[in-house]
Amino acid sequence: MFNIFMCVYLTLMNSYYSIKRESWESGIIRLTSSYNVFAVVDNGYSFDYEMVDNRNISSIVYNKPKPSTPLKTFFLPVRENVTSETISEKARIIIGPPNCDVEALSILDEIYLDKSFEDVFYRNRRDNTIIISSDCFEIQDHCHCISYNINPYSTSKADVAVILRNDQILLRVISEKGDEFVKNRLDAVPLTDRSEIASVENRQHETVEVLRRTGKGLPDYKTTGSLVKRADETIWKKYSSRCVSCGACTAICPTCTCFLLIDKPGFHKVKQLDACQYPGFERVAGGEDALGDLPQRFRNRYMCKYVWKPSKFKGIACTGCGRCIEACIGKINKNELFRELAK
Amino acid sequence: MPQQVNIYKPLMAKLTRVIDESPLIKTFVLQPEKEFTFKTGQFIELSADGIGEAPFTPSSSPLVKDMLEVTVMKTGYVTAHMHNMKPGEYMGIRGPFGRGYPVEKFNDKEVLILGGGCGFAPIRSLLYNLIAIKENLRKVTLCYGSKTPEDCIYKPYIEELRRIPKFEVLRSVDKADSSWNERVGVVTILLDDVKADIKNSVAVVCGPPVMMKYGTLKLLQMGYPEHDIYLSMEKNMSCGLGKCGHCMMGDYFVCKDGPVFTYDEIKDHPNIWN
Repeated sequence: MFNIFMCVYLTLMNSYYSIKRESWESGIIRLTSSYNVFAVVDNGYSFDYEMVDNRNISSIVYNKPKPSTPLKTFFLPVRENVTSETISEKARIIIGPPNCDVEALSILDEIYLDKSFEDVFYRNRRDNTIIISSDCFEIQDHCHCISYNINPYSTSKADVAVILRNDQILLRVISEKGDEFVKNRLDAVPLTDRSEIASVENRQHETVEVLRRTGKGLPDYKTTGSLVKRADETIWKKYSSRCVSCGACTAICPTCTCFLLIDKPGFHKVKQLDACQYPGFERVAGGEDALGDLPQRFRNRYMCKYVWKPSKFKGIACTGCGRCIEACIGKINKNELFRELAK
Repeated sequence: MPQQVNIYKPLMAKLTRVIDESPLIKTFVLQPEKEFTFKTGQFIELSADGIGEAPFTPSSSPLVKDMLEVTVMKTGYVTAHMHNMKPGEYMGIRGPFGRGYPVEKFNDKEVLILGGGCGFAPIRSLLYNLIAIKENLRKVTLCYGSKTPEDCIYKPYIEELRRIPKFEVLRSVDKADSSWNERVGVVTILLDDVKADIKNSVAVVCGPPVMMKYGTLKLLQMGYPEHDIYLSMEKNMSCGLGKCGHCMMGDYFVCKDGPVFTYDEIKDHPNIWN
């Protein structure tokens, strides 16, 4: 059974398809009648997701990091009524999430698809979404996925990966769902030119090398946990002195999903994104608050991501996307913190 | 396709009776719309419509399936609203959640229970369970402390308990009045009066954090092994499902991995007493 699965998997993994950009774009527009299609679009001042239509189809960004919004927001809305009837939403195609965001879904899946308590809203959204990840051939200032054992291209968690080469769109099939999609929904043809595939692999390796160079001195996923665990309070006091508990780092983090249930009349519950960085997050009715102190609260986020989550789930809860560094109004740079810890 | 279960949706329960236990504590007797079962020590999320919900461990017997009692201390916005509710109104129940008391491990043991204030609520449920299996137990000693005689809850129940063979009840208050003829002082002083065969004992602690802390330390001094001290932890359990993150205590979700832990399971975790 395992071998059959592996054979199918490896066959899928090796499949590249090709389609002219023009046909790809018209194909996507055609699909908007049966899917809600979202893609990372260059809107002039940032890259972010937009619903695709005729006006923005040609502004889709390929192979560049990274949309401002993390992929999690498609599966865990900031606010939703979780006691309403589960309506079946229109199937979706999401084009352009980088692999760091796609890999973050592993953590989300472990939490929300937990067999004992499965979140039906999350499950339905995961099932009705096709993820077309974009290989990163460029990096941004704070990208460091490689340090956390995540490649800048997707090979396992997405359904398909997309690469723009000249006027051709290349599609790498990753999942069975992706295989079915590429074969039946697009006029793509199998890519047989080995040199084209080699050229894609070359770009992937080049990006990895750039990330290795820029991430030099940054502790990797094997050591982050022990560094955080043994860090004394001076480091947390120092870095949290510029923290204003705004929660931007958690809101923008692809793996932070803590929430609050808010009661509404009719015994409705509204699930709203919350953050351990907000004061009162752990306060109990009696008044005790384990995270009452700012440095404690600040440390909690690091302990959660690099120590506690890995002890409970498959790995650390950080994909190295660097958004928390970009979003921080106190200019707190977690990579600087880790470099200091590693000294 | 199997029907999907919505884990966030509460079960409706009719409030049939409200019992005044003390000036700040009331017991709500609830009749759930469907049979509701729980293991002693597990908790539920109880909601007041449109106001909020909060975690409580039922105080009734886990063996009763058509009725549920929840003892609530008035401490904040949600509990203040609950205290104004009248029989006939509805409350919402989600759960039961988490890991309760492993009563099967108490066979052939002496059980020492240390409780304080509203921490008696989960303990009363445990006591109902222990009464049902008393033939298997050597002895049950309840040490219960409250601030004043007026704050002592479950007064009729205490009298019933004292009449049951193998069950012993010791009580203390921080501040006595002329009606009080039991011990005066913090609850841990009652442990000085306990004669226990510690090798064949387990201890259960439930109450306010400061009591849990000093109670546990005293039990350790007395020689109770860390793995035989059961603590019912209080954190800000919100979803009850191990998802929302509010009750994380190190790598534990108190709602899912607890709320009952042995001391050795949590002793190295941060902030266990607050």
